[in-house]
Amino acid sequence: MAIFIDRDTRILVQGITGNVGRFQTRIMKDYGSGIVAGVTPGKGGQVVDGTPVYDSVEDAVREHDINAAISFVPAPSAKNAAFEILAAGIPFLVLTTEGIPENDIINIVRHAELTDGRVLGPDTPGLISPGRCKLGVHPHEMFREGPVGIVSKSGSLSYEVARVLTGAGIGQSSVVGIGGGPIWGTTHEDVLREFENDPETKAVVLLGEVGGKLEHRAAAFIESHMTKPVVAMIVGRSAPEGARMGHAGAIVEGEAGTAASKLNALAQAGARTATTSHEIVNILKEIGV
Amino acid sequence: MKLLEYQAKQLLTESGVPVPEGRLVERLSDLDRISFPAMLKAQIPVGGRGKAGVVKFAATRTEAESIAGDLLGADIKGFSVTTLLAEAAVDILKELYVCCLNDKECNRPMFMVSREGGVDIEQLAKTSPEKIVRRHIDPLVGLMEYDIRALASELGIARDRRFAAVAKGLWAILRHQDATLVEINPLAVTDTGVTALDGKIILDDNAEFRAGVRRAELKAHQRERIRIQKSEPERLAETYDIAYVLMDGDIGIIADGAGTGMLTLDLVKDLGGNPANFCEMGGKAAAEAAEQAMEIVLSNPNVKSLLISLIGGLTRMDRVAEGIDAYLKRHGCPAPISVRMCGTKAEAGCRILSAHGIEATADLLTAAKAAVHYGGK
Repeated sequence: MAIFIDRDTRILVQGITGNVGRFQTRIMKDYGSGIVAGVTPGKGGQVVDGTPVYDSVEDAVREHDINAAISFVPAPSAKNAAFEILAAGIPFLVLTTEGIPENDIINIVRHAELTDGRVLGPDTPGLISPGRCKLGVHPHEMFREGPVGIVSKSGSLSYEVARVLTGAGIGQSSVVGIGGGPIWGTTHEDVLREFENDPETKAVVLLGEVGGKLEHRAAAFIESHMTKPVVAMIVGRSAPEGARMGHAGAIVEGEAGTAASKLNALAQAGARTATTSHEIVNILKEIGV
Repeated sequence: MKLLEYQAKQLLTESGVPVPEGRLVERLSDLDRISFPAMLKAQIPVGGRGKAGVVKFAATRTEAESIAGDLLGADIKGFSVTTLLAEAAVDILKELYVCCLNDKECNRPMFMVSREGGVDIEQLAKTSPEKIVRRHIDPLVGLMEYDIRALASELGIARDRRFAAVAKGLWAILRHQDATLVEINPLAVTDTGVTALDGKIILDDNAEFRAGVRRAELKAHQRERIRIQKSEPERLAETYDIAYVLMDGDIGIIADGAGTGMLTLDLVKDLGGNPANFCEMGGKAAAEAAEQAMEIVLSNPNVKSLLISLIGGLTRMDRVAEGIDAYLKRHGCPAPISVRMCGTKAEAGCRILSAHGIEATADLLTAAKAAVHYGGK
């Protein structure tokens, strides 16, 4: 089994009739993901590449047994769309949307707590379990099935590392993007817990970046709960203080936000640290993956 | 968007928070309408103005003239001072700290308060963290009367009408005007109750689509009053809305993702090179963004070597290459270009670049080494 999603995951796509939604749905379907329905208000009754479209999530769940969703809804409508997913009882939502107002994200995450749902993101490429299911926008030819779990804030960095791992013959169990922050529905720590409990994952690669304290919390979790080996890389070691490095959450403000302090905490907790993808490969080989 | 103090005070006033009476001073004759003693404060969007010597007490008109004469037009922390805020001086009994923001550790809005206001709060958080009290508010419930009472009690003051107005005002600005930070430091206790002596508000740029005319006004006022010495690449990056951070080296960097952009920066440094910038094209139309990113990064005259780091997830590499091609055809490039390109439509992208004699590699380390080789080292 993989974490969060698998071959039998039944997926709803929100915003399926938009350019990105339509394009990515076709690629996910070709990959083998179980896309069962789409939703766009006012477009109910249409069929997109064989997938039935509904006006509302309520309508879709009445017709289909759905247990995961991915949202391509633009930022101004993202809160309403996410609430609709959670209110319909769908337990897992990948929120790809970038640029959602902070107050809306706070409300979405709070609503997810009350409905026992999990939100991955926002501003995430989603996740992929190579060879089984892709619930996201990854360039999947860079990934292949295997024993290493990857959790990353940045999408592009997870592609980069997975690509080098795949090239070295090391496959991945699941690759999860948690998003660029500064607010996360799912954290490194949450994903580490899943990997720890996943029998197919033998080792975990944790990819972080400057800003915030998420990696410090991951370090505390590694120290107290992880039995599987963790290799960590934090990018932005040369980021100047106070500058926003592309992601909304990637700003060094205070000592805790620096790459050095995060790397130090992770190393103290027992993780191996690396500065390049090739180094990650070497460490994984060293520990017998 | 970070508001200037006087703008923050306008928003606070509109939300019912008591602030001292104030007027803007743009020229010495504006001092005619001010009663003394007064505080004169330079309106520049930076912290630590007190330490920088641009918040001054003026007992008389004569003193005020000399202070205003010094401050107006002065260059402070990269900003040229165009405007002062003159406020009635207040008899302070005690200085408190009050702030309302979203706690990223637990995804909840919160109030942070302290009985020790007026100081550098980050310093206080380090030396005596127990002196800062946090109170989380359920975003789906909102600020309740018992929260206000608890906050007053933490601050050691009475829950009077004025304090309730402060708490409600901060909450309203955070939640209903889409701020990401509303801070009053210090909140002064006076004979007549609490008063906000300083105000710092950061508005959420992502909420602009629903912000309405008020925010457009605030923006227009900032354009008039904030004179910043910006470099050409920084100015262009703002115009094109592309993430760019100017640094002091000679290797220009363009990436199509934030994470790989930072990785590229780190690699260049580890290899002994000096990055001239960080630049992430973001999720815009690829060809246009690539052309704009080239223009931004190459407008920095220090760039001796250009490294383009592309992974091609959501972005199509042939489109990015078209953008680079268009730029090179129009302007050429004074610096040697090293490209790492892989992912969606990378083959087509590489073909377009090879017409310019650029041989793209799929390996980031190889491209970074080449770029460092061409740079000054």
